[in-house]
Amino acid sequence: MKSPSSAEFQPHQTNGLLCIADAAALIRSGLPLSVAGPESAMDALPAGNWIGGTTPYFMTADGGRVVTHGQVFVTDLSAIGSVRIARYGADALADISGNGPDRGFSLAVIPAGSVCHERFANEAADYPEAFLRPTVGWIAGVDLADRTATAKVYDGTGPTKLTDGAVVAHITQDDDALLSIEIVNPFTPGTGDVLRFEETGFAPTHCVIDGIRTNFAAYLVEHGMADGALPLVGDFAGAHINVSIKSVDLGAQSVTLYAPVFPGVDYRFAAPLADYAGTFREKLADHPLEGAVWSCNCILNFLFGALEGKAIGGVAGPVTFGEIAYQLLNQTMVLVRQN
Amino acid sequence: MALPLPTSPCWQKLANGGLATLRTDNIATQMLSKRMERSSAPVSQKAAEIHEYYAKWERSLAHEIAQFS
Repeated sequence: MKSPSSAEFQPHQTNGLLCIADAAALIRSGLPLSVAGPESAMDALPAGNWIGGTTPYFMTADGGRVVTHGQVFVTDLSAIGSVRIARYGADALADISGNGPDRGFSLAVIPAGSVCHERFANEAADYPEAFLRPTVGWIAGVDLADRTATAKVYDGTGPTKLTDGAVVAHITQDDDALLSIEIVNPFTPGTGDVLRFEETGFAPTHCVIDGIRTNFAAYLVEHGMADGALPLVGDFAGAHINVSIKSVDLGAQSVTLYAPVFPGVDYRFAAPLADYAGTFREKLADHPLEGAVWSCNCILNFLFGALEGKAIGGVAGPVTFGEIAYQLLNQTMVLVRQN
Repeated sequence: MALPLPTSPCWQKLANGGLATLRTDNIATQMLSKRMERSSAPVSQKAAEIHEYYAKWERSLAHEIAQFS
């Protein structure tokens, strides 16, 4: 893309917010698109070669934006390669990578809180071809001010709106294109306890610290981590993979996470950030963005970093309720570059 | 450095923990390394999977392949 944050109405450059009429015109022109937006705007789009999901939150060149009606965020996928749209149920999620292109990647959108969300999060890292036919994408969400809303994804070929399922754009790149899937994580592990978990899941009741089985909810409250501002940072052979705290109920001694923890991984709580937005801005300034073709960032970064109206650099994209780079991530920006 | 043949002992070495010792900031390699560490699959199966990974991404992982020797 010439302009990574562009909302220009030109093929091969579009990656930004458009009014519904302009987005519909792009769809009718036959371009393959990835679309994100509030449900009312998504519902107004015509059938075509597109996938999408709900979120009213976006990062643009001018900063974070909240859009509750009338606009959608459109990324023209034709700038990346040729696109084949597909849809998968919970029992077929391994086929996202299994059916992925020989050269390229699969862009997936899954609704938050769905069976597919949980299954993909728990299983994706073990899909047979996860690292041979990579998957990136995002978890669709809701306007947090609307307590009754549920996340939706869209198979634009209907269009069909789904509360469960994965909609996927399998993208085949040119032979000479070099794919790079990258993450930008504002967090680093702190110096506190190393936590381990006995089972894969979003709701661990206990963690193990220095060999001692410990009530996880009580630990979070005792250590001031129950507000969810700081994620657990998992050490994946040097890669920092966040797991964010969604809720803690000390009475019920239950904890809910935004992504699963895994056995065999060392977790530490992240070191606090003195300046959340500033840290992100610095990390992005140090990160190469040449050839960027797609990106998303996490709703928790948007909220805890108070990013609405703040420009942090990087590439424009939807703000999401989970990010996918091979597996589900939290509080992380995912970036796809093609050189 | 050319990619070693599938029969090279380097793949078994990588499957036996060598993958985790490579200097890399490639997230796929790092995640794959953790997957191998957590997996109970036979070493030969892990070695084949690691070889397939490097064969697929040889062009972009040259700096890792150069560390195999």
